[in-house]
Amino acid sequence: MVNALDPQNINSFSEASVSVEIETEDMTLNIGPQHPSTHGVLRLVAKVDGEKVHDVRPVLGYMHRGYEKLAEVRTYPQITTLVNRIDWVAGFSNEIPFITGAERLMEIEVPERAKYIRLILTEMARISSHFVFIGAYALEVGALTPIFYAMEDRERILDLIESVTGGRFHPNFNRIGGVKPAAGAGPTTKKDIQDLPAGFYRDTKVAMQKVIEAANQFQNLIGGNEVFKKRTKNVGVLTVETAEAFGVSGPILRASGVKSDLRTQTDYLPYDQFEYDIPVGENGDCYDRWDVRVKEMVESAKIVLQAIDSMPSGPLQAKVPKVIKVPKGRTYVRAENPKGEMGYYIVSDGGLGPYRLKVRTASFSNISILPNMLEGALLPDLIAIMGSLDFVLGDVDR
Amino acid sequence: MEEFFNKIKESFTDATLEFETITIKVDSTEWIKTHQNLRDEFNLKFFSWLSAIDWDNEVSVGEAPKESVSPSFEIITCLSDLANTNLIIVSTSIAKSDPKINSLVEIYAGANWHEREAFEMFGINFENHPNLEKLYLPDGYEGNPMLKSFELISREVKPWPGEVDVEGMPEESESEESKDG
Repeated sequence: MVNALDPQNINSFSEASVSVEIETEDMTLNIGPQHPSTHGVLRLVAKVDGEKVHDVRPVLGYMHRGYEKLAEVRTYPQITTLVNRIDWVAGFSNEIPFITGAERLMEIEVPERAKYIRLILTEMARISSHFVFIGAYALEVGALTPIFYAMEDRERILDLIESVTGGRFHPNFNRIGGVKPAAGAGPTTKKDIQDLPAGFYRDTKVAMQKVIEAANQFQNLIGGNEVFKKRTKNVGVLTVETAEAFGVSGPILRASGVKSDLRTQTDYLPYDQFEYDIPVGENGDCYDRWDVRVKEMVESAKIVLQAIDSMPSGPLQAKVPKVIKVPKGRTYVRAENPKGEMGYYIVSDGGLGPYRLKVRTASFSNISILPNMLEGALLPDLIAIMGSLDFVLGDVDR
Repeated sequence: MEEFFNKIKESFTDATLEFETITIKVDSTEWIKTHQNLRDEFNLKFFSWLSAIDWDNEVSVGEAPKESVSPSFEIITCLSDLANTNLIIVSTSIAKSDPKINSLVEIYAGANWHEREAFEMFGINFENHPNLEKLYLPDGYEGNPMLKSFELISREVKPWPGEVDVEGMPEESESEESKDG
């Protein structure tokens, strides 16, 4: 009999155990649709071999509300209410490309002031969306504290959006030809302006300073955390080639090192008036995706501060017909939303509503790389990778 | 945009630039070849989306087209380049009687989910698609909801309340311009 504990025999034993191949069946693991880290109701069917993920099949449709069909039976002004609810974390941003598309077909020139107000509120929506991501992502990789900070900071932004639009999540503030007069409109420090609520400029400046402070705080609190780095660095690396073929856009694409931002590349809002950086990542891993968003918040805050200082005066609405009829034609308008490229392809037949409205959402394309990215990943990394894509199910299913 | 449009026009003579959107129409037999060409020659590697339009004169929801159209499916893809300044809409028509077209998955891997969506919503068959299953709709669901002939049940049961507002408006009031709100 061989004594297994005899040091002389250890080598031969370990060799023997290596040479035996054990074949195990893959286990099917169902994640969601009610799992809290799926940002809503995404369901993943994963085939796992121990800790290794072999295959992932996302199952969509739990939040499918059929917006494209609904849009066909609604008039253009009614559709703005609908599109608010696509990406509900940044409701305001969803309105912009749709309204711009309708205005483009009607050949309406929007007053500068309305454009600036749109721009400020879009950037605020971006900041608020990134706050949710930063808090929720830390939670998903195991840090409980940051979400409380993030939600408190986001609340300040939501208060500002509410003070102007009257709604925290679904502003429904854009009108074809401009914006609606603000909810709390009253006299402000600038005497010629009656459309933004009193003290809006002052409150915004304070809030944007707080955003910059908060971003720095998060860089130290989360970004500098050794555990967080271990969980996210070199995890879920996305190459540019894959990102392109799948139509991955926004911060995820930029984290992979592509300096692509529709704010500078298209002219749906006057972003060319301001100076700001476009943060890009180096490795395209989870950490970079997190880092890019934190840096983006600071840039957004800078844009808002500049816009407040150079706010033009003038009307909020262009002249538009009483009954909105969009002339026959087609256009595709895209915008840089917090989660990536959002676009509307409007096919108008000259009626009160579009003949067909195709909604291109960022999250849909962004999560279509999940099977690709998760193949061969470790099970604990699955949540880290999925969370770093920052999707909202309303934006995926529409 | 003008520069890119001129470049496109050299290869696709019927390209149009309307409302800041460049559109080319191709034959459905050229579908794969065109996309390969656009990806490799024009560097349009970013696959934005694919969708379809159901052209029909008889619609059960929404408004029918004002001018009579020949019933067909129009399939549309949107491609752009990495720098995201150049963007193109590629469109093709296929017959409604036999709605099928070659899948783009081999050229753009991202077309996979978009084609599955068009498959379930319009009933278009994408040939050589690796996994042509329903994407959103539950198993056993019958019908293709995005077809113009597919009725909205809520609209059947109860007329749309918003319709009252629309009807109340004068028909010819475009000359009367007024500020909103």
